[in-house]
Amino acid sequence: MTIVTGKTGARGRLRPLLRKIWEHRADYAYVLPAIAVMLIVIAYPIYYTIELSFFNTPPGLQLRDKIFVGFGNYTSILTSPVFWKVTSNTLIWTLASTFIAFVLGFASALALHRDFIGRGVLRAILIIPWVISAVAASYIWKWIYHSDFGIIGAVLVGLGLADRPPNFIDSVSTVLPSLIVVNIWREFPFAMIMMMAGLQTVPDQLLRAAKVDGANAWQRFWHVTFPHLRNVSTVTILLLAVANFNSFIIPWIMTGGGPSNASHIWITHIYELAFGRQRWGVASAYSVLLFLILMTLGYFYVRALSGNERKDGSA
Amino acid sequence: MAHVVLKDLVKTYGSFKAVNEVSLTVNDGEFVALVGPSGCGKTTTLNLIAGLIPMTSGDIVIGDRVVNELDPKDRDIAMVFQNYALYPQKSVYMNLAFPLQMRKLRRDEIDRKVREAARVLDMTQLLERKPRELSGGQQQRVALGRALVRDPAVFLMDEPLSNLDAKLRVQMRSEIKRFHQDLKATIVYVTHDQLEAVTMADRMAVMNGGYLQQYDSPAQVFAHPANMFVASFVGSPAMSLIPLEASTANGDTVLTSAEGWTLQLSQLNARKVQRATTKKVVLGARHSTIKLHKSAVHGAIPAKAYTVEPTGDVTFVQAFLSGAIVNISVPPNIAVKPDEQIWLEFDQERIHLFDGETEMALEAN
Repeated sequence: MTIVTGKTGARGRLRPLLRKIWEHRADYAYVLPAIAVMLIVIAYPIYYTIELSFFNTPPGLQLRDKIFVGFGNYTSILTSPVFWKVTSNTLIWTLASTFIAFVLGFASALALHRDFIGRGVLRAILIIPWVISAVAASYIWKWIYHSDFGIIGAVLVGLGLADRPPNFIDSVSTVLPSLIVVNIWREFPFAMIMMMAGLQTVPDQLLRAAKVDGANAWQRFWHVTFPHLRNVSTVTILLLAVANFNSFIIPWIMTGGGPSNASHIWITHIYELAFGRQRWGVASAYSVLLFLILMTLGYFYVRALSGNERKDGSA
Repeated sequence: MAHVVLKDLVKTYGSFKAVNEVSLTVNDGEFVALVGPSGCGKTTTLNLIAGLIPMTSGDIVIGDRVVNELDPKDRDIAMVFQNYALYPQKSVYMNLAFPLQMRKLRRDEIDRKVREAARVLDMTQLLERKPRELSGGQQQRVALGRALVRDPAVFLMDEPLSNLDAKLRVQMRSEIKRFHQDLKATIVYVTHDQLEAVTMADRMAVMNGGYLQQYDSPAQVFAHPANMFVASFVGSPAMSLIPLEASTANGDTVLTSAEGWTLQLSQLNARKVQRATTKKVVLGARHSTIKLHKSAVHGAIPAKAYTVEPTGDVTFVQAFLSGAIVNISVPPNIAVKPDEQIWLEFDQERIHLFDGETEMALEAN
């Protein structure tokens, strides 16, 4: 090795890089349109959102006359009681929906993994909630829950289990659980499909080996099936968690976040701040915080996926 | 250890008979190979013995118990699978311990047995590894160890070597044979490789189409194949089978070919042919029993060399005779060229004669 001066050293490093880029100029040209589009529709909005989050945008003022407030939006968010209410709603919504949808989906997958008459029909029926439009489903459930005309209330009263139809989505204490039920109903088929695919990859020979080794049905599940599904379970749970964190349609259409913020989650709250009350700055600050949280989740998702590949590669 | 008896074992899938009235006895401490081509019912038979699939009819006896209705875990068997079937998330130690844990043995007893099995199979240093960190041969040894710790009455092995490369297969072959000799274990071993069966087994059960074709020692199966299927399946290269016609010339029984030549028969072979109910006779001869001449010799049959395959030790020559391919092995110093005229002489003591219709071996008495 010879010692080079800073100048030639930098040039020495730069030249091969430039030459490499030049050699691959056609390749760069191919991806250029995609990069340009991504910069316009993804990178610029992200930048603009971050920028806006440092400004106050009072309604009635033009956006270009926005007032710089530094971290003012962030501090006002973090000190507002609504923020903590919405955050706890989001956590309850995400954790409960994800966990129950996963368990229910896994259970259905296990049930459908056995061979029985009508399995195909049942599988098709169970997938329906996931394939129909979320907007349509939300309206249907709104009617099912309706305190005057809802079928659940009517059945309960008809059976004599209640004196009058219960308030599902008009009451502060029941609105969030009621919406979570709808959300679980809608997304457990996704978990079911993922786990069904996973179950098909469990090697038959391993299950037979465990049988010969004396394992009963539960032990075969616990020692063979379940460990085999660890990666697909991780991916399913992460995808569900991200989707639930980002939920909008069901709470927005069914309650719009009410009554008194009881069913507001982050996305509906941000949407209302931005497009309902034109508080762009605060809404942007909220978005940046949400972005950071989701990026963290995304990091674990990618790690779970690449962990998968590493195992397959060495097997 | 224990003996295994199969009596009129039948397994049907709908109208398809996978296993057809198979009866055989595996003696205590005997190594028996179930051998046959794909789909012959050998693996199904093994799974029936293991209790992994329900049988249609028949009886299975292990030791002195009829095990027809018993679960695999209650049959006192251990099984070694083709893909090793090790639990990927468990260490080698836990893989070996698993069948003992399922039997609720005390922890110190499990530890003692696992370490003993690891010592016997020389893999004490591998106990903490995960299966994916092991080579194919090591994985197979762990699979053997998992069967060994149980101290079962019978070992069932389902093509345990077919996932290994050729060199390792030969090595593991002798390891399994040694394993059998040291433990005096009763082993039922499924393979599609007749060489494995011949080299390892005390007795081999040749199966085809769900039927047991022949059950005897490898030497007997090799020397006296019961029918044309066994004759062509056992031995490599396969026995040449030449379709001929029995006729009488000058009071002697001879075999004539559609190509015009005739083959004189020894007294014993002539008697076999005379006892046949059909004129159609198939002549079987192994490559090493056919003599190749480069000039006409009395009693030798003219043929044309088709391909010549030198392997180093011997050179295999293929020729067409009466529409059949005939394999002949010659020393490497004899140079034969393709399309060269050759003469083939059959060893009357070592040829096989089969009934051309029933495909069964012809007997002299």
